[in-house]
Amino acid sequence: MIEAQGLAKRYGSKTAVDNVSFTVHPGKVTGFLGPNGAGKSTTMRMIVGLDNPSAGSVTVNGRRYAEHHAPLREVGALLDAKAVHTKRSAYNHLRAMAATHGIPNSRVKEVIEMTGLGPVAKKRVGGFSLGMGQRLGIACALLGDPHTVILDEPVNGLDPEGVQWVRHLAKGLAAEGRTVFLSSHLMSEMALTADHLIVIGRGRIIADAPIEQIISDQGKTRTRVRTDNPAELIRALAGDGVTLHQLEPELLEVTGADSHRIARAALDNRVLVYELTPLQASLEEAYMQLTNDSVEYHSHDLPRTAQAASVGQGK
Amino acid sequence: MSHTAVAASKRSGTQGSGVNFIRVLKSEWIKLVTIPSTVIMVSITVIVMIGLAALFAWQTTVLLDLQGDPEMTAQMQGAPDATSITNTIPGSGLIFGQLLIGSLGVVLIASEWGTGMIRSTMVAVPKRIPALLAKQLVFAVVAFVVGAVSAFVSYLIAQPILAPSGLEFGLGDEGVLLHIINTGSVLALMAVIAMAIGTLLRNTAGGVVTTIGLLLILPILVATLLAGIADWVPDAARFLPSSAGEQMVAITIADGALNQWQGALVLGGWALVLLIVSLLATKKRDV
Repeated sequence: MIEAQGLAKRYGSKTAVDNVSFTVHPGKVTGFLGPNGAGKSTTMRMIVGLDNPSAGSVTVNGRRYAEHHAPLREVGALLDAKAVHTKRSAYNHLRAMAATHGIPNSRVKEVIEMTGLGPVAKKRVGGFSLGMGQRLGIACALLGDPHTVILDEPVNGLDPEGVQWVRHLAKGLAAEGRTVFLSSHLMSEMALTADHLIVIGRGRIIADAPIEQIISDQGKTRTRVRTDNPAELIRALAGDGVTLHQLEPELLEVTGADSHRIARAALDNRVLVYELTPLQASLEEAYMQLTNDSVEYHSHDLPRTAQAASVGQGK
Repeated sequence: MSHTAVAASKRSGTQGSGVNFIRVLKSEWIKLVTIPSTVIMVSITVIVMIGLAALFAWQTTVLLDLQGDPEMTAQMQGAPDATSITNTIPGSGLIFGQLLIGSLGVVLIASEWGTGMIRSTMVAVPKRIPALLAKQLVFAVVAFVVGAVSAFVSYLIAQPILAPSGLEFGLGDEGVLLHIINTGSVLALMAVIAMAIGTLLRNTAGGVVTTIGLLLILPILVATLLAGIADWVPDAARFLPSSAGEQMVAITIADGALNQWQGALVLGGWALVLLIVSLLATKKRDV
């Protein structure tokens, strides 16, 4: 269980994390979702005591991380970037980490096997691919067989097989009753892995709810309707929180009325409907809506004139 | 396979399974010996120190043997007697040894920040001070052994070189044993100073430049340029780390100079102050 109370981190005048409170419960995978620069990594660094909070506090299993007698057995953390000396081998890195807690070498070999690092364990970490680096980070996180596992962007750089492996691992750890806290800026990944979502943007918590609830709250159900008499159907449905968009001459998108109500209106008004498709809002859409106002770095389309100018110069 | 493997691994007992200083020491020892370049650098330091001492021994025989009267030649060079030159041959590699060990001391800690390793270190030992102390202690012991062993081997090698000129000496001669041991002590204290600087600056290049500046450049600046500024400057120069180190390995002490123990006190003071400042700063700052 991770509990953050009024947690804040300021770097000079810039506020990275702003009065954040949340609880991560054991037995499920909690996703920590937010755009780049939203404060995910800073929050995780504060959980394991690498950064001191400017205000507030965060505890793991009731104590500050640094106050635990055996921190690696309480919390296993994979932090954003490689945290390994590039000239040391993976095996020796894990051995040195294990030594601080008197964790036997047999456990080191176990996590190497678990993470599929066997063939490269004796090689220098500097030569590792991003994916191998992530696997080593995960191996390190699992070293102490911890109650709480914190993984910052664990699927970064992993191949599809590796992504699936992390997904299974996270779910498996949660099924054993452990607390699993997983960050990502990829909502699609979260939709597949997380049970509960904490969404952060610009250092503030935007949402903290079960994943189904976030999807249903944010994306109102839309229905796609094809009819040969759209004008009549629009008249019949209009008003009362219902929004209609005519996308094509015979295609409507209806928000605010479910398919049953649309079918009833069509029947009552003798309008022929030849398609009626409920559209499930994706988590991605829900996420875009949530974080729309809180993205730190917006990308903009190039202005047309600039594009034309550059093409002109190219000639 | 993954989560079933986790499930299969039994939860280890939690008693006596936490962090303690002995375990952190062991971890830091593993970290020291598993970087190949560190091991190479330490070996090079030993070889260079012994090589320099042998060279110095040979050069001494040439110099002092010139007129067939070593005592007079030594006095003409400003030394009180021949033994004050010959008997410090074992530690004559110290001047280079301290630069190599100093650079390595900076690299060992600053490279942890450079590579990101420090995050792993501080997550495993979140109280931070034990991790730094263990790293300091492990490397200081290595530096001591490097210095003392190099000096002792140099002593052995120097004897056959000096013997033809009748300049050989024994471990029992006055100050020789202390000289050999203190060659190690100076290196150990220099290692602490360098690693503390590396801890404070968190940057290899900056740390090495600062350390070499303190040990090599500053004494030269003080002796040449700054000495004329005020009367107290040459006086204060005695308390620089390099000067204090030189006194620790001196056989004969000039009038008004620090003796071996006073030198140790001054150099130890530098090491202790820098160590404490580096520990407190690391405890307070973000990693």
